[in-house]
Amino acid sequence: MRNKIEIENVSYIYSQGTPFCTEALKDVSCSFKEGIITGLIGHTGSGKSTLVQLLNGLLKPTSGRVLLDGKDIWENPKKINEIRFRVGLVFQYPEYQLFEESVYADIAYGPKNIGLDKDEIDKRVRQSAQFVGIDEGLFEKSPFDLSGGQMRRVAIAGIFALMPEVLVLDEPAAGLDPMGRDAVFNAVTAYQRTTGATVIIVSHSMEDMAKYADRIMVMSNAKVVLEGEPSEIYKNAKTLCSIGLDVPQITRLMMKLSDMGVPNRTDIFTVEGARDEILRLLGKGGNVND
Amino acid sequence: MENAFIKTENLSFSYENGDGGENAVLYDINLEIEKGAFVAILGHNGSGKSTLAKLLNMILTPTGGKIYIDGTDITKPDMSEKDIIDLRSKIGMVFQNPDNQLVATIVEEDVAFGPENLGVEPAEIRRRVDEALATVGMTKYARHSPHQLSGGQKQRVAIAGAIAMLPECIVFDESTAMLDPMGRAEVMNTIEKLNREKNITVLHITHNMNEALCADRVIVMSDGRIILDGVPDEVFSHVEELKSVGLGVPQAAELMYSLSKNGIEIGKITGDENKCAQKLFDLINEK
Repeated sequence: MRNKIEIENVSYIYSQGTPFCTEALKDVSCSFKEGIITGLIGHTGSGKSTLVQLLNGLLKPTSGRVLLDGKDIWENPKKINEIRFRVGLVFQYPEYQLFEESVYADIAYGPKNIGLDKDEIDKRVRQSAQFVGIDEGLFEKSPFDLSGGQMRRVAIAGIFALMPEVLVLDEPAAGLDPMGRDAVFNAVTAYQRTTGATVIIVSHSMEDMAKYADRIMVMSNAKVVLEGEPSEIYKNAKTLCSIGLDVPQITRLMMKLSDMGVPNRTDIFTVEGARDEILRLLGKGGNVND
Repeated sequence: MENAFIKTENLSFSYENGDGGENAVLYDINLEIEKGAFVAILGHNGSGKSTLAKLLNMILTPTGGKIYIDGTDITKPDMSEKDIIDLRSKIGMVFQNPDNQLVATIVEEDVAFGPENLGVEPAEIRRRVDEALATVGMTKYARHSPHQLSGGQKQRVAIAGAIAMLPECIVFDESTAMLDPMGRAEVMNTIEKLNREKNITVLHITHNMNEALCADRVIVMSDGRIILDGVPDEVFSHVEELKSVGLGVPQAAELMYSLSKNGIEIGKITGDENKCAQKLFDLINEK
C-alpha cells in the first residue's frame, strides 16, 4: 500500500513568543496509507486536531514537511487552495455550517463554487445524498427542518460532493445516538469503498474505530505513540488506559478476567471476538450462532 | 409511590407542524420518580426524551395530561408567575452544549447569575457560589474566564450554576454527549456525588449505555412512549428489544446474550463488567 500523505518531522507551536505558547506537535513523523480508513485516536489536547488541520494546509507546520502524493503541499503557497479541494476536511458538528434554503442547494454549494456544470453538479448531489442515505424526497426541504442526525449527514454529503481524494473527518459521530452514529460511519464507508479515497477519522471512541477503521494511529502528548491494525493496537490495552483513553468495555472485561487468573487473548475488542474466546475457554468452540 | 417527587398522569405533547396539523411527540406518559432517585433516560433521537425534560421544567406546556412536582399540579391554569418561578428553581437543567449555557465572563459570576436574578442577598449568593464551586471541584477556577476551560470543566461550571439555585432535582439533557472520555468521567463523578451526598434527584438523559449503568433505574423511550422501565440489569436483559428501537446494550450484556444463544447457561444478563467477569470466571472454573 502506497503512502498517500506523509508527515516528516513536523512540529507545530501555537502562539509562539507569547505566554500562551504551546507545542501541539513535537517532531512528528507518520504516514497515512492510500485507499483505506485510518482512525486517529487520542485524548483532548493530544494534538490530533492540529494534525488534521495541517493535512489540508489550514495550518502551516512550524517546522517539517507535509507531503501529499510525495509532494510538499507548501512548495507553492499560492496554490494551497488546490490542496484544500483535494483534501476535504469535515469539522466537528458540521451541521452548524448548513445555510442554504434547501437540502439540494446546500449539497450543491461546493461543486457550484468550483465551477462544475449543471449536469455534473446534479450527478454529484444525487450520488452524495445516496452515500449518506438522504432520500431525494428531502431535497426541497429546508435543512433546518431535518433531525440532528439528518442535518449532520447533509453537511457531510456537501463534502462528498467535492469528491476529495483524501477525506478527513473530525469526530463525525459526536453527540449522535447509536443509530445516527452507524448511519454516519456507514456513509463514510460507502464513500470510501466506492471512490477508493483515503479516509482519516478523528475519534475518541475505541469502540467505533474497532468497528470501522482498517488501521489505527494513537496520539498522546503531541506525538504518535502507536500505529497499526486494530488487533495490534488493542494488544496494548494497558498502555491505552494509561494514556487516558477509553478502551471498549469488552476489552476491560477480558483484561479483568485475565487478572482474575483466566489467561485469554488480550487483543479482543469486539463482542464477537470475546464470545468466540469464551466459547473456546469453555471447550465449546467450533460452530457459533450469531 | 408515596414520596413521588415527579409524577405525570397521561402526559402528552404535540407540536404544531405548520400546516395546521399536529405532530405528537409524547403519548400518555405515566411516570413516578421518587425523591433522591438517580434515573437514566435512554432513547434514540426523536424519541421524546428532551421534550419530557422540558415539560418537567415548564419550558414547554403539556397539550394533555398532568404533571405534579413535589405534590403541586403544575398544569393547573391558575399558576401565577411567582409559582412558576418557585417551581422552576426546584428543578435545574444542564444542557448538551457547554458553550451555550455560560453567560458571564468570569466563572464565579456565571454561577451567581441564577441566585442574583432571584434577588438573593449578596452574602448568601457568595456562600452559595463558593459551596457550589467546591461541590463540583472548580474552586481553583473561580476567577477564570470560561473560555479557558475544557468542555468537562465548563459543564461542571454549568452544574455549579444549577446547584446555586438549591434545586431538589437536576435534569441533565445529554450533558456528556459533547465531551471527551475524561470530561465525561469528571461530569459523571460530579453527578453521582450530587445524588449520593446531597440527595439531589437526578434525571440523566444519555445515549451512553455505560453511563446508564450508574443509575438506580433506567427508563427507555421510543416514539413518544416508555417501553422499558426498571433497574439497569433488568432493562439491559432485553437485548433484542433495545436493538429493535435503535439502541445498543453494554457490550457485557451483549456478550452474555450471545453466549446464551450458543447454549451456555449464562443466568441473569447484566451490563456490569465486574458482575459479568465474575459469572464467566465461575463458568470457566466449573468446567
